[in-house]
This record gives sequence, structure tokens and C-alpha cells, in this order.
Amino acid sequence: MPDPGDKMGPEGDLIDDLTPAPARPESGSVQRRPGAVVVLVVLVAAVVAVLFQTLGDASLFFYEADRAVELRSELDGDRFRVVGTPQPGILEIEVDGGSAVVFTLCAGDVLADVVHLGDPAELFQPGVPVVLQGSWVRGPVPPGLVAPAADGWYLRTDHMVVKHDNDYRGEGAELKACGLPDDNASAGG
Amino acid sequence: MAEEPMSPVPLPEGTASDTTGSRGSRLLGVLTLVGLAALGVLAFVLTDPDVRIHPSTGAEFGQFDAVRMLYVHVPLAVMTYLAYGLCAVASLGVLIRRTPWWDVTAHAAAEVGTVFCGLVLVTGSIWGRPVWNTWWEWGDVRLMTTLVLFLMFAGYLALRRTTGDPRAVSRRAAVVALVAVLDIPLVNRSVEWWENRTLHQQSTLGDLKIEDLTLFTLMLGFLVLGMVLAWLLLHRFRVGWLERAALDHSVAAAIVERRGETPDDELRRAVGDRSPGEPL
Repeated sequence: MPDPGDKMGPEGDLIDDLTPAPARPESGSVQRRPGAVVVLVVLVAAVVAVLFQTLGDASLFFYEADRAVELRSELDGDRFRVVGTPQPGILEIEVDGGSAVVFTLCAGDVLADVVHLGDPAELFQPGVPVVLQGSWVRGPVPPGLVAPAADGWYLRTDHMVVKHDNDYRGEGAELKACGLPDDNASAGG
Repeated sequence: MAEEPMSPVPLPEGTASDTTGSRGSRLLGVLTLVGLAALGVLAFVLTDPDVRIHPSTGAEFGQFDAVRMLYVHVPLAVMTYLAYGLCAVASLGVLIRRTPWWDVTAHAAAEVGTVFCGLVLVTGSIWGRPVWNTWWEWGDVRLMTTLVLFLMFAGYLALRRTTGDPRAVSRRAAVVALVAVLDIPLVNRSVEWWENRTLHQQSTLGDLKIEDLTLFTLMLGFLVLGMVLAWLLLHRFRVGWLERAALDHSVAAAIVERRGETPDDELRRAVGDRSPGEPL
């Protein structure tokens, strides 16, 4: 039976004291290449550095909608991700021959109008947060929104993902309120 | 300094040991199959889809039937952590004890863990398409750290195959495993450390935002997937042990054959300290 006490050599191989010694090109090669270990360590360090760099970028994976409004002058023309909660009153329009949806995004007490090109996400609906990718555009949004930001800017986006919550309770689940009266802040579902 | 003489892994004798099965593992296998069937029925038939009524709009929302992937995806992720954790412990054993038992254990755990990790990525992607509206989201911390974990252990397995003799790279592989396993805390805690900065949702169990049959089914998923992990680990270890024994046996056989091809006087010169006529 296998036993943790069974021994093997310094390179993990089994050393046999029978003679003549058999040629061992693999292990011999390992022993003659201490530089290979250094290269391996450098590569690992590089992987770790890339990992942390990636995580640093990902920490700004998306802006909250209110933050995106705050940084609007800095983000002007840049493509970025933004998260917020769509408000009731979603319009379906046609832009440049393609379908689009127009709605108002909310974070905290800040609103931002959105023109999203293409089909929305399957589970897209008011009150369920979404992450959008696009950029700020100066100009008015089409009329018809229930409570638009109407600040002369809108987000022109073309990529939408739904940010789902982690609540699986049938009753007592909470939703973060956004731009809604307090009595609608949370409720059982 | 002279190396301590080592003993090779013995080749099992007879046909009784030439299998990775045993009474215990067969019993575990049967129980695992029963558990998988029960999990399937609960996950795909008896539990309700995730449908809630939005408090402000009154509309139905939730994950609907996609929530059923939860019962497999989450346990797979936890079992991946366990397998890689075992690999890390065994890798320490390789570095400290230098025994094939630890080495075969580390290899088996890494291999099974990588299968589980791959399934985590696949099931997450299948879940993400209907719920998130995307198969994959580059830049998401949870997704990226999980992918890095998978790639690092894939590299670990690749490293073990860089030579024909896996024993030659066991210590280097152990170091790689110990570095790779450092990614696990990042994977696990990323949704908390980067809260509201990831598409991936936060922990459900930590906040107890799950209850009743949904919770029970998830717990059953942990148990059953844990049994699958144990069964796979057991058999992969035994396969690895037999491979190691066969490798040692072939080396020993090659040495004996080489001896047979070498004239006695050459062998005596090589040995040096044996008197003429003494058997080699």
C-alpha cells in the first residue's frame, strides 16, 4: 500500500544504487540548470504582477451612475462602464435603422439618461441594476421618458449586462431603492 | 553528500491489486450516483424557479430557471478550492518529506481540481448568458481570478509533463502549486473586497439570503459534489500510484537488462570493490 514515508530523491525521483548508474538525462539536465529555477521564479513574479495589475484595473470595472455624472467632463469621449438602476418608463425607438431603448438610469439620487443601441438584455427591466458600456454624448434624449435627467447629456451605450443580486429568498428579499419613495425602498417579493 | 538510499514504489503483485477499485470506493461510487440522481431531481424538478415580485414595479423578476445552475456551480467552486488546497498541502509534503506518496497526491488533487475548476467556468458561463446577458465578461474580478487559477494549475499539469519522467519535476511543480494556490483567497474574497465593482454577485450563504428547499438543495449539492471529488481523488491517486510503480519497475527492468548486456569485467571495473568470481 502507498505510504507517505516512502522516500524519493532530491528531484523527486527515486535513487537506485545499482551500478553501473543508468543515464538520467532529465534529472541531470535539471541539476545542471539552476538558472531555470530563476527563470521560473521570474515568470511567477511576472504572473503575480500581471494579476495585481489586472485587479487594479478591475477595481474600476464600472462607475456608479452618480460617479459617472460627477466625472462627466473627465470622461467626455471616453468609453467606460457604468452601473445603475433603470427607472420605469422605457422607450423603444429606432436609431440609424436599428432598434434602441431609451431610459433613465439612477444611482442614489442622481439620474442619467441612456440611449442603448441594440437589443437590451433578456432580463432587462425597471428596478433591476444593469451595467452598460458606452460614452457620454451631449444632446437631448428623445421625448417620452417619465422622469428624465434632462441635463443636456445622455449615455450612448451598446453593451448591456444585468447585475443580479445575491438574494434567493422567496419572501423578505430586499431591493435597494433608487429614486423611489422610502415606502418602496424594500419589500417582500 | 551521499543521498540516502531510496526504495522504489512496489509494483502490485497479482491481479487483485491491478485495479483502482475497492469495496469502499465502490460503495462510495454507488452512494455518489444515488446522490447525483437525488440532486438532479431536486435541482431540476422539485425546487422552484427564482421568481420574485419587484416591490416598486410589481413585475416579476429574478433568475427564473437559470437559478438551477446554482446547485452545481457553487459546490463545484468550493470543491475546486478543496482540491487545490489538498494539492498545496501535498506539495508541502513533497518539499519537506520528498516522498512519492505526497507527490502522487498533489498530482491527483491538481488534476481533479482543474477538471472541477473548468466546470466552474463552464457552468458559470452557461448561467451568465441568460442572467447577465453575456457568456463572459472580461475584467470582472471574480471571473478573471478564477480563469487565472485555472490557467496556473493547467500550467502546473503541463509542467509535470515536460519530461517523460514526472518524478524529475515534482519539486518544481510543488513550488508552482504553492504559488498558484495563493490565488484562491483572491477568487473567494474578490466579490467582497471589490464589492459593487464586480458583475458577479456577493456571497449568498454568508448573508443567509437563501432558505427552505433552495438551501437544502444547495447543501445537498455540496455533499454530493464532495463525494464526487473524493471518488475521483481516490481513483486518480491509485492510478497515479500504479503509474509510478510501473515507471519504477520499468527503470529497474532496464537496469537489469543493461547489466545483461555489459561484460562482467566492465561491470567489475565499474563496481571496483568486488572480488573476481563474486556474483554481481
